[in-house]
Amino acid sequence: MWWRSASFILDQRHLQEDPPNDIASSSSKQPPDTLSSLSPPQTQNSTFMATAADPFNPIPNPKISAYYQTRAAHTAVVTSDWLAQAQAAVGHHPDDAQAAQTHQPLLAASPSSGKSFCVINEFNNWRKQPDLAEAVAAIRALAAVIRASEATTMMELEIELKKASDSLKSWDTTSISLTAGCDLFMRYVTRTSALEYEDFNSARSRLIERAEKFGEISCKARRIIAMLSQDFIFDGCTILVHGFSRVVLEVLKTAAQNKKLFRVFCTEGRPDRTGLRLSNELAKLDVPVKLLIDSAVAYTMDEVDMVFVGADGVVESGGIINMMGTYQIALVAHSMNKPVYVAAESYKFARLYPLDQKDMAPALRPIDFGVPIPSKVEVERSARDYTPPQYLTLLFTDLGVLTPSVVSDELIQLYL
Amino acid sequence: MPDVQVLVNDFINKLRKRKIEGSQATSRQTAELLRSVISQTRVPYTNQAGALIDAVRAVGEQLIAANPVELAVGNIVRRVLHIIREEDLSLATAAIAGLGLSSVSDDEDDAERDNHPVLSAAVVAAAARSTLRPPSLQTLLEDVPDSGAVPHTSSSGGDSEGKSKSADKSSRSRKLKHDVIEALNELIQDITTCHELIAEQAVEHIHQNEVILTLGSSRTVLEFLCAAKEKKRSFRVFVAEGAPRYQGHLLAKDLVTRGLQTTLITDSAVFAMISRVNMVIVGAHAVMANGGVIAPVGLNMVALAAQRHAVPFVVLAGSHKLCPLYPHNPEVLLNELRSPSELLDFGEFSDCMDFGIGTASPLLHVVNPTFDYVPPKLVSLFITDTGGHNPSYVYRLIADYYSADDLVVQRRPPTAS
Repeated sequence: MWWRSASFILDQRHLQEDPPNDIASSSSKQPPDTLSSLSPPQTQNSTFMATAADPFNPIPNPKISAYYQTRAAHTAVVTSDWLAQAQAAVGHHPDDAQAAQTHQPLLAASPSSGKSFCVINEFNNWRKQPDLAEAVAAIRALAAVIRASEATTMMELEIELKKASDSLKSWDTTSISLTAGCDLFMRYVTRTSALEYEDFNSARSRLIERAEKFGEISCKARRIIAMLSQDFIFDGCTILVHGFSRVVLEVLKTAAQNKKLFRVFCTEGRPDRTGLRLSNELAKLDVPVKLLIDSAVAYTMDEVDMVFVGADGVVESGGIINMMGTYQIALVAHSMNKPVYVAAESYKFARLYPLDQKDMAPALRPIDFGVPIPSKVEVERSARDYTPPQYLTLLFTDLGVLTPSVVSDELIQLYL
Repeated sequence: MPDVQVLVNDFINKLRKRKIEGSQATSRQTAELLRSVISQTRVPYTNQAGALIDAVRAVGEQLIAANPVELAVGNIVRRVLHIIREEDLSLATAAIAGLGLSSVSDDEDDAERDNHPVLSAAVVAAAARSTLRPPSLQTLLEDVPDSGAVPHTSSSGGDSEGKSKSADKSSRSRKLKHDVIEALNELIQDITTCHELIAEQAVEHIHQNEVILTLGSSRTVLEFLCAAKEKKRSFRVFVAEGAPRYQGHLLAKDLVTRGLQTTLITDSAVFAMISRVNMVIVGAHAVMANGGVIAPVGLNMVALAAQRHAVPFVVLAGSHKLCPLYPHNPEVLLNELRSPSELLDFGEFSDCMDFGIGTASPLLHVVNPTFDYVPPKLVSLFITDTGGHNPSYVYRLIADYYSADDLVVQRRPPTAS
C-alpha cells in the first residue's frame, strides 16, 4: 500500500543546488596511481592551501574529516618497493617522516598569531606523532593552554579551558576521541574536590602534572588491555583483524611475546589500506598473516575463531564507531557464532547514542578508485560505521573486561 | 594459629579429594573456615585491614588451588576480602568524620611536622572511596594511592591527634575484626537460607496449568517447585533423567512425594517434548561475569532446544554461585571429567579397553564431562536470592559483592607493602 518514495532523487537535486564538492572532483580526475596512496593526502594539503582563504579556519571544506586524514597519513602504505624494503629491514618508517613533512607546510601557512589559536597548532603538533592517541594529544594541548594562561583564579582558568576545548572540538566535529578527551579533562578540572583545599598555583601545577601523566595513562591503558585479553587468545586460534588499531597491535604483540601460536587474517581495509601496514607490522613479529580483500570476510569466516577490532569511539548503548567495514564483519561473525572482541581505552567512551548509521556527524574522506569516475556517479565516502551492541561479545578496556551493557553504567557514573 | 592451620589442611584435603558435594556446602564450609582464620589472626595497631587481607589471601590461594573447578570457593574468598575492605572503609570514614572538625585547624601543624605534601581529610576520604570502587572513568585522571596505604593514612591521621586517642585506637582495632566477623556471620546465614529466598519468588513465575521442564536434580529447583505447589498452583513437571548419574529419577520421586504431577523422560526426548513446555527451570553450578552459566551436562542442549521453540530458560542460583571471572574456554578449563565407569560397565567392554594392535593408545575413549557451558544469550532470566535479573545485569551484582583488586587471589609480594 505504501510505496517507497524515491527520496534519493530529491536528495540529489538538493545536493546539486549546493556548490559542487571540489575535493571529489579533483580526486576523481587524478592520474591512476594506485600504489602511491600518499599522493591523495598531498593533493588534499595543496587543495587546503589553495582554498584556505581564511588562515584562521584550518578546515576550509568541513566535509572532509581531518581525523581520518591524519589516520590515513599515519597508517597508509607508500609504495610496493617500500613494502619489500620494510620486510627486509626493521623499524625505520620513511612514511612517518614524509607525513610530518606534508603537515609542515600546512602549519606554516596558518600563522600562529594570537593565543586563541595556539591550542589548535599545539594539538596538531602533538597529533603528528603516530603513536599518540587523539585524546592524549587533546589533553596535552589543553595542558599547554593552562601553562600559557595568565589566569589568577580557578574560575578564570576554567573559562579559558572551556573556550580552548570548544575551539578544539569545533575544529574537527567528527573525531569522537577528541571530544571525549576534552570532556574528560574538563570534567576532571571542574569536579575534582582535591583542589578546593589547595592554593591556586599548586592546583595549577597539579593539573598540568596530571595532564602530562595522561600520556602515560594512555600507554598503561594499552598494556592493561593487552594483559586482559591474553587469556582469550589460545594456542592454534585464528584471529580476524580489521583496521589499524594500535591497541589491537599491542594485544597481538603481547600474545606473540608470550609465545602463543596463532595466525591473523587482515582485511585490506580500503580505502586506507590499513591492512597492508598492519600485516607488515605482524610479519615483523613472525606472526603468520593472511591478507584478505574486504569482500572475502564471509568466505573465510568459517576458519576464524574470533574477531578483534579497535574502536574510534564507544557509544552509550555499548556499540562502537569504527572504520567502515566493522559493522559488516560483526554481522557476519554474529551469524556464524564467532565472538567479536573490541579493544578500546576508557577515554573513548562518548555520550552519543546513534540510532542508525546516519545518526552521527558525517565523516567523509576521499576515495581513490584508480580510474576517473564520471561526475554523475555518486560515491559513498563515509569513513566510519556504527556497530550496535548486540553484535559485540566483550569489550576489553583499562577499566576491565566489560560486556556492552556496562558502558552506559560507566558513563552515567561519570556524568551524574 | 596452629589449630587453624590444621583446619585449613583438613579442608584442603577434602577439596582435593572432591569429598564435598555441592556448591552450597562448599561455600558454607569455606566461609566458616575463613571466619576462624580471621578471628585467630593477630592484627597490628596500624593497617589492620592489610593484615587481615594478607591472611585471607594466603589461605584463599591454597583453597582455590586445591579445587579450581569449584568456583564457589574462590567466590567466598573474594566476598570475604570485599567485606574486609568495606568494613575498613566505613570505619575510616566514621573516624575521619569525627576527626574532620579538628583536623582543619591541625593542618598547618601537620605540614611542619611531616615534610611530605599534606593530603587533606577530604582528599583521603575521596581516595579511600575510589580505591574501593573498581577503576572507573571518574578516577581515570586522579592519582589514587595504593590501597594498602589508605588505612595507614587514616590511622596516622589519628596519631597526629595525640595520645588522647590511643584508647580510641585499640577499641578501633577490635572493632574492625568484630565488624568483619559479624558481616561473615551474615554471609553464612545468607548462604544457608538462599533456597528459601529463591523459593519465595516461585509464585510470581509459575502460573496455573503450566508445564515446567527440568533436567537432573537440584535442591533449589525442588524447593522452588514445592513452594509454588504450596501456594495452590497446579502445574506439571517434566523431568529429564540426566544421564549418566540419573539424578532426575531422585527428583521425580521427591516431587511425587510432595504431590506434584511428574513425567520422567530421557535426555534425548527433550527436543521432542519441548514444544509442549511453558518454561524451563534449572539450577546452576556457577554463574560467570558475562552472564554465562556453568551447569550440569546436558543443559546446553536443553537451552538450545528452548531457544528454538521460544521457551523461557530460567536459571536459579544463589548469590554464592556468582563468579567475577570471564570464561575464555569454559568447556575445557572449568570442566571436570569423571570416571568412565558411570557410562560403561568395565566387565562388558574390557576387551575394547585394551590397546589397539600396533598403536600405543586404546581405540575406545570414554569421556564423561561433569559440566556444560550455557552462553548468556540463551538464558532468559536469573533468579537469585536478591530477585530476578537479566543476564546483562550480572555485572552490577558482581560490582556489589566483589572488589576489582581481588580478581587474582595471590599473596602480595613483601616488597609491595
